[in-house]
Amino acid sequence: MKETKSGPGQERRSGSWLQTLALGRNPKTTLIRAAVLAAVCVVLFKWVLLPVRVQGISMTPTYADHSVHFVNRLAYLWHEPRRGDVVGIRLTPPNGWSAPHIMYFKRIIGLPGESISFVGGRVLVNGQTLDEPYEKRPCDWNAAAVTLGGHEYFVVGDNRSMAKEEHDFGRAERSRIVGKALL
Amino acid sequence: MKWPRVILLAVVVALGAWAWVALHPDPERLIRRRLDKIAHAASYGPNQGYLAKLAGAQSLADFCATNIEVNIDVPGRQEHRLAGREDIQQAALALRASVQAVTVTFPDVTVVVNADRESAVADLTLQARLAGERDMFVQEVKVTLQKIDGQWLIVKAETVRTLK
Repeated sequence: MKETKSGPGQERRSGSWLQTLALGRNPKTTLIRAAVLAAVCVVLFKWVLLPVRVQGISMTPTYADHSVHFVNRLAYLWHEPRRGDVVGIRLTPPNGWSAPHIMYFKRIIGLPGESISFVGGRVLVNGQTLDEPYEKRPCDWNAAAVTLGGHEYFVVGDNRSMAKEEHDFGRAERSRIVGKALL
Repeated sequence: MKWPRVILLAVVVALGAWAWVALHPDPERLIRRRLDKIAHAASYGPNQGYLAKLAGAQSLADFCATNIEVNIDVPGRQEHRLAGREDIQQAALALRASVQAVTVTFPDVTVVVNADRESAVADLTLQARLAGERDMFVQEVKVTLQKIDGQWLIVKAETVRTLK
């Protein structure tokens, strides 16, 4: 026959088990760890990895409308943006290290000094057709050649099946590129 | 020097600093506060009566100089030019008549106050959520302000093409 015991001692044991689970064996250390973790998260997600929610269809199918991604602000500390990178571009001029709340999310197809044009939906860089494996939808855009300045990049969305007039694209100054899309 | 005197001195210095800031407010901070008020005045809820619409349009026009110039050039839409406070009021009234509710915010603002401290330029991101629209409207805008009769008023506002 089994005996079951219940009483204040058992409640106390159960209470301490819950406390250990929630706060650890040493609550003071756990609280310090939690505070450090919170501080790291604030710094990381406010200044370094900026969370962005995509609004609009200009980057589909690569980035779906209303999907959440991150922009890595440290991506271009050691090298300049490259062709094919998806980047966040701020709308207002840079203001110190403050992170913008709203950005364009576009792909770089042209680098400083290059000439970019659209002919029958194909991108020409200095007259040569650009291979774009991410471009999966039909496009019939035509646009005259644009020569980029020394600090300018040509950016465009991946969804070029939409009307050219409804799609924001063009030259972006280097200083406005916030960082590279991480995911 | 005894401790009570040190504390008293610290309190006096702190009060003096506070009074100095209150009497000589930083123009950039005043302009940012002003822009927040403009965004609030430009926003409105649904089911407003005609008088409320008129008052809202008037309050928005009050933030503008009498000779204000507004240039709106947005891709895919016709270019618009407005001149004078009256035009602003009429445009605000027309918007209130055609769109049921609008929420305007300026989430990113960069203010540069000129050396004369009587004029300034604010580059801002305008974010507008229109009732019935799924996506929000976003546009870079350059606003020139001037201190007229002690108040920062908009003398010029123009849309800017971020991607040229």
